[in-house]
Amino acid sequence: MGTGSVTPAGGGPPPGSVVVGPTWQPGAACAVRVTGLRKAFPGKGGRVEALRGVDLSVPAGEIYGFLGPNGAGKTTALRILTTLLRADAGEVVVAGLDVGSHPAAVRRRIGYVGQRGGADIEATGRENLVLQGRLYGMGRHETERRADELIELLDLGSFCRRIARTYSGGQRRRLEVALGIVHRPDVLFLDEPTLGLDPQNRANLWDQLRRLRDTGTTVLLTTHYLDEADQLSDRVAIIDHGLVVAEGPPEDLRGRYPAGVTITPRPGFADLATVTAELGREPLVREARIDGETIRVDLDSATTGMAAIFDLLRARGVEVQGVSLREPSLDDVFLHETGRSLRDAGPAATEAIAS
Amino acid sequence: MTFLLQTTLLARRRILETLRQPIWVFMGLSVPLMYLALFAPLLKPLAGGPGFPGGSVLDVFVPGILALMAFGSGMGAGWIVIGELESGVIERLRVTPASRLALVLGTILRDVLMFVVPAVLVLVVATPFGFHPHWAGLAILLGLLALLTAACSAASAALGITLKQIGSLAAVVTGLQLPLTLLAGVLLPLSLGPGWLQGLAHVNPMYYAVEAARDLAAGNLASATVAEGFGVMGAAALLAIWWSTRAYRRAMA
Repeated sequence: MGTGSVTPAGGGPPPGSVVVGPTWQPGAACAVRVTGLRKAFPGKGGRVEALRGVDLSVPAGEIYGFLGPNGAGKTTALRILTTLLRADAGEVVVAGLDVGSHPAAVRRRIGYVGQRGGADIEATGRENLVLQGRLYGMGRHETERRADELIELLDLGSFCRRIARTYSGGQRRRLEVALGIVHRPDVLFLDEPTLGLDPQNRANLWDQLRRLRDTGTTVLLTTHYLDEADQLSDRVAIIDHGLVVAEGPPEDLRGRYPAGVTITPRPGFADLATVTAELGREPLVREARIDGETIRVDLDSATTGMAAIFDLLRARGVEVQGVSLREPSLDDVFLHETGRSLRDAGPAATEAIAS
Repeated sequence: MTFLLQTTLLARRRILETLRQPIWVFMGLSVPLMYLALFAPLLKPLAGGPGFPGGSVLDVFVPGILALMAFGSGMGAGWIVIGELESGVIERLRVTPASRLALVLGTILRDVLMFVVPAVLVLVVATPFGFHPHWAGLAILLGLLALLTAACSAASAALGITLKQIGSLAAVVTGLQLPLTLLAGVLLPLSLGPGWLQGLAHVNPMYYAVEAARDLAAGNLASATVAEGFGVMGAAALLAIWWSTRAYRRAMA
């Protein structure tokens, strides 16, 4: 781990795939480093292994996503990184400190927003922020100033003087994120931060996390949403059954799988076979095959490949009735590495979140 | 210094939380007054009889009611803790550098306050009805019973974190409540009972608190019973606080 390119468990990237250079070089500042992390819980019929040897490095100043189905071990890993749980084996270094031997020092440098939030619902948002700051050892005036700053930053102004029990889901989540960053942590951990949020609140939270990243905070979040991992995260670790099955920038991971193009010629076009064979010889085409009345083409790159396909079709006089394009997603990566679709690997798939 | 500040901050948080739910304050005050109004009159005919040496029955009854209040004020802590496990509050606090002992003590201080304020009210109300206050003794009595509240509060919080479910906690607490309070003689002195009952009471820590409380209320400040009461309650409180702190350190929601 640490070179940015990823070797799938099945041995080597698929032929013809383009491995984009790493965005992060070994030796660059590392916010989290995990080696050989293992954790098992007592369960029915023996111990359940939640983490079975996880290795990963989170570069400083990036948004890093743990993607995986429920029960994959994401939350367990997060709880160990945030000092809530002790590892059975392995080394975990967060913000330059060993979590096992210096939990108290680690706590001062990290922020945590749990799945269940954790704001005091009988207190106002502002009281929550001030108490949190003071528990981190900030002075009274400093805390007051910081609370005002966060109220501005996360747009809490209209409700921060109301009791938190009255907040909507989005308002509460914003307060909880503010609570996580009161003390300006080096690394902010969030467990399924957008679970249960409506699309608008979700988009807002993404923006806020990006802004946080841009000011130098490393953000590490767990998610089981493909788009959250893909669009929000700079790097992703795909976790399944307690192991990291793939790791890297999402576009690199996706880029190893072909885009699928389906071409529907006008009915009656006779020479499907010849055109399909010719398409198959195009440099960016991985495979072309006939599927009923349509031609299916797997492309290494959708952007450049599509142009080549259209040039060829026009040159052969093929009248096209319809074209559809399916870009590769992180689900293709998950499917390739685990044999299951992330969408199907739902809550019932494995053991419950360690709780 | 940091520790004291954290304890103060966390106690303040708890007190605000209680004050914002006036129903708790109201119930905390009304229950002991109901005992005085609805139960104490039943004891009137016993005045001068065995267990009620001279004076007013209230002199024997009030310390018992105070002990019951001290027990009740502490035992609520577990319910709040379970709510906080579910809402992620405990997890949030555990990721901060806040001292785990301060987390426990913050709750205890609130519970002690929620015992002392109604207790003083009960003493004030009982006095015109024939209770003979020995104010120095009563001050020490409140200190002794504050230890009982602390022990109950810490134990209840530890139970809450360990059991994680309101139903289990309720079963354990109600299961303990009757034997602990009856075997301490909170309503009627155990000296009225047979020898085996009195012997059984000696394994109940709360018994020593109630016996000492009756001595203190009668103005016997320097008795061996009082020393015994403080010894047993001090040990119980320390043990419960240790247990609770350990539970906070390991809490898993």
